[in-house]
Amino acid sequence: MRDLSDLKDELEKCVRCGTCRSVCPVFRVAGREPSAARGKLTLIESYMKGEIGLTETYLKHLKECTLCGACRQNCPNSVNTVEIFNAARIDAATKNGIPLAASLIFKNLLDDRILPWALKMATRLQGLIFKDSSVEKGLLSRFSLPIIGSGRLLPPLANKFFMELPEVKALSKQEQGSKGPKIAFYAGCGINYLMPEVGTATLEVLKKAGTRVIVPEGQVCCGMPAFSMGDEKIARNMALKNLEAFEAHEFDFITTSCATCGHGLKNLFRKLLGDNSELKDRVEAFCSKVRDITELLVNELDYLNKAGNEKKGELIATYHDPCHLGRAQGLRDAPRYLIEKCSAVNLKEMKNPCSCCGLGGGLSTTNYDLSINITKRKVDNIKGSGADIVVTACPGCMVQLRDGLHKFGVKAKVAHVVELL
Amino acid sequence: MLTNIVKNELKRIVGADNASFSKEDLLCYSYDATNSLHLPEAVVFPATAEEISLILKMANAEGFPVIPRGAGTGFSGGSLPVEGGVVISTERMKAVIEIDPDNLTAIAEPGVVTWEFQQEVEKLGLFYPPDPSSLKFSTIGGNIAECAGGPRAVKYGVTKDYVLGLEVVLPTGEIINTGVRTAKGVVGYDITKLMVGSEGTLGIVTKATLKLLPLPETIKTMLAIFPDLKDAAKAVSGIIRAKVIPSTLELIDSVCIKCVEEYAQVGLPQAEAVLLIEVDGSFDTVDKDSEVVKRICAGNGSTEVRIANDKKEVKDLWKARRAISASLFRVKPNKINEDIVVPRSAIPELIAGLQEIGKKRNLLIAGFGHAGDGNIHVNIMYDKKDPKESKEAQEAVVDVFGLTIKLGGTLSGEHGVGITKAPYLKMELTEASIDAMKRIKAAFDPKGILNPGKIFPKADKAQADRLKEPV
Ligand SMILES: Cc1cc2nc3c(=O)[nH]c(=O)nc-3n(C[C@H](O)[C@H](O)[C@H](O)COP(=O)(O)OP(=O)(O)OC[C@H]3O[C@@H](n4cnc5c(N)ncnc54)[C@H](O)[C@@H]3O)c2cc1C
Repeated sequence: MRDLSDLKDELEKCVRCGTCRSVCPVFRVAGREPSAARGKLTLIESYMKGEIGLTETYLKHLKECTLCGACRQNCPNSVNTVEIFNAARIDAATKNGIPLAASLIFKNLLDDRILPWALKMATRLQGLIFKDSSVEKGLLSRFSLPIIGSGRLLPPLANKFFMELPEVKALSKQEQGSKGPKIAFYAGCGINYLMPEVGTATLEVLKKAGTRVIVPEGQVCCGMPAFSMGDEKIARNMALKNLEAFEAHEFDFITTSCATCGHGLKNLFRKLLGDNSELKDRVEAFCSKVRDITELLVNELDYLNKAGNEKKGELIATYHDPCHLGRAQGLRDAPRYLIEKCSAVNLKEMKNPCSCCGLGGGLSTTNYDLSINITKRKVDNIKGSGADIVVTACPGCMVQLRDGLHKFGVKAKVAHVVELL
Repeated sequence: MLTNIVKNELKRIVGADNASFSKEDLLCYSYDATNSLHLPEAVVFPATAEEISLILKMANAEGFPVIPRGAGTGFSGGSLPVEGGVVISTERMKAVIEIDPDNLTAIAEPGVVTWEFQQEVEKLGLFYPPDPSSLKFSTIGGNIAECAGGPRAVKYGVTKDYVLGLEVVLPTGEIINTGVRTAKGVVGYDITKLMVGSEGTLGIVTKATLKLLPLPETIKTMLAIFPDLKDAAKAVSGIIRAKVIPSTLELIDSVCIKCVEEYAQVGLPQAEAVLLIEVDGSFDTVDKDSEVVKRICAGNGSTEVRIANDKKEVKDLWKARRAISASLFRVKPNKINEDIVVPRSAIPELIAGLQEIGKKRNLLIAGFGHAGDGNIHVNIMYDKKDPKESKEAQEAVVDVFGLTIKLGGTLSGEHGVGITKAPYLKMELTEASIDAMKRIKAAFDPKGILNPGKIFPKADKAQADRLKEPV
């Protein structure tokens, strides 16, 4: 992986034309130069030259970014902005000794040993902190908490985490059935702690598609959240643990229903572990088998022909492209094909389906106001499409969209593609 | 140096959240698309003309420079604080105040992004034609100050043709309204036209009344492919001679095709040149005109004329066209970007001349742009780190300007003089006209506090040499 100091040439590729101002979701809301890539790159360059230090303001601007990659995709000179931003975050976190969301709680949350424990405690405690909200799924925080803020719709922690469901535990060492391609399912934190139902729906679809599934035990967080907060070390540890957990089994593909995890497993792993010559081949073997669930169904399992032509009902659905699926993995068609051919809803595009939901890059933790105002634009577009359901393929986006729809009073439901199949 | 009293007063005028003195923020307002950096001493984000007026009055009293800034996408350094001072960013003034379909006018604040303004008026079936390639990120205020134009200029003209009236804060702080809200008006001097294209040196625009047109019924987008650049140039003259006025007539040469195809991947052919042509109007006219265009292209050596079939193909072609300028850095790390204009009929001669200059100086000269109105973006590509190539590139600029003037043209069609072209002003203007302009500047801005160091070359030789250094 390239260090910030290796990225000098990449930084110099920016000619400051300003194109990034037209596509940056943060700039659209914040409206000032430091939030667009051009400003951030200038700051990073000045920091590297020693003209500014690791100041509060510098860190603030570094954090005001969802890492959605729209600037990189639209840059006429193909400046790899996201790589630079990640490297700058790692540099800052390393030198400061704490990740960018510099609260102790957050640091602990990033650690995979503490996370499950902390969340379990929270499940017990949440009755005290949250009151039921009648709207959609989720809970409205009753009190204003420092990182939560009142009026924010948070999904309840699952009563029973996905990895602990008996039907999942039954698959943790050995797959069921004896025919069909063998698939290893990677759940990820969103599904495990917040949305086990998306996980169970995935398992059902995989069964329908005629595969044998295993959900390897010992899998941990994919490391994307830690990485984007600049904590490369934790991210690398997690990658290693996952590698080992999956290497204990044989399978044809690894799949996940989380766009962010998919991007992490496919691309981040290579960056984190690929430099190590001993690990290189193992990492390559792992990464080359990773498929997003929609990609797996459409490209590998011929699901469109096996299960196609569902009869259409009345409901209108619109599809939100998760940044980590559309931009990061180039998968825009597969989820749409599945909705069109294999579900009972009618697909209607919204304006700017690929613009970021506002959650990414840790922004919803570090600057909730900014983050939810980005979501507001998304919500307006959803409303404009007249859809009853917003379909997407990432639990992270689902959390953010539910929060935004609730906050801005739009009635649409949020679902994962697999829940419609 | 700004005193603490001035800084506190700035904060008081615009509010503490809207004034910044931190090095980080100053860095972010120190550049434009010329990619050179000049640190201001403060950046402020006012919301009203009154706030700007107070700042300008204080600038006169205290003697600090004030530099208006839109999106900072200028190609001549207009928004650069070359002498320090206070940058006034219009980023908070971005309301479309009114759209009047009965009178075909609209009123907008200067910080509105041109594209967003166009989207708003198009919802009502109206049309604001000025379309610089930077339209998705540059502002109405910046467009007015530079008199920006784009591909549609060949048929619809440039920004100045759409500005009916302005609210302007004069350098001395008075707020005036210029122009009219009517189709005509001849009361007094035409200060509106004087302000348009004045590069932020005569006043700060705080509101603009803009003229709109009915949105054309339909548009057809075509791409004509030529194995010879000179043939493409001839086809341009041919089309104009046939009395068809396309709404776009853009020339793209082989270097540009290669760079931009690498970026946008929209299936541009590897040819010596292509013309991107659009005709608009009623369905009948568009059919008729596109046939004429096809015939003339074929008659001038075009091997193929493609027609865009759907919205996506049109969008792709435009994305590619608009990205040319910035994507050229793929072939060389530096370029000198000039936007000369020659009479349309002289385009073939210009193209031949540019090729000669390139050969003579052993430089890659990429050309593209608004061939339909004679405005060609000449990009002299070089590597700053190669001293010989740098020197040749600088001399090539003088060659290009010489050729332009010889052909009866002008040094800049739309990017303005700013700091990059100031050293060459005398190649086009006589001493007497430069002097007349300086007297106008002095009449508006006796203390010289508004956007100093722009347009007029400094008498100072060292300064002139520094400015000559290509950015
Ligand atoms: C990729 C690219 C393509 C481009 N293509 C074109 C093109 O096709 N045609 C074209 O004409 N230009 C083009 N440009 C140049 C540039 O975009 C235009 O000059 C544009 O009008 C600048 O607008 P801005 O908002 O960025 O202004 P800025 O760069 O911020 O400022 C430009 C000038 O306007 C002044 N100014 C800004 N706001 C005000 C105000 N409210 N009142 C008074 N003065 C003000 C500034 O002081 C400065 O002198 C292009 C630039 C880029 C980067």
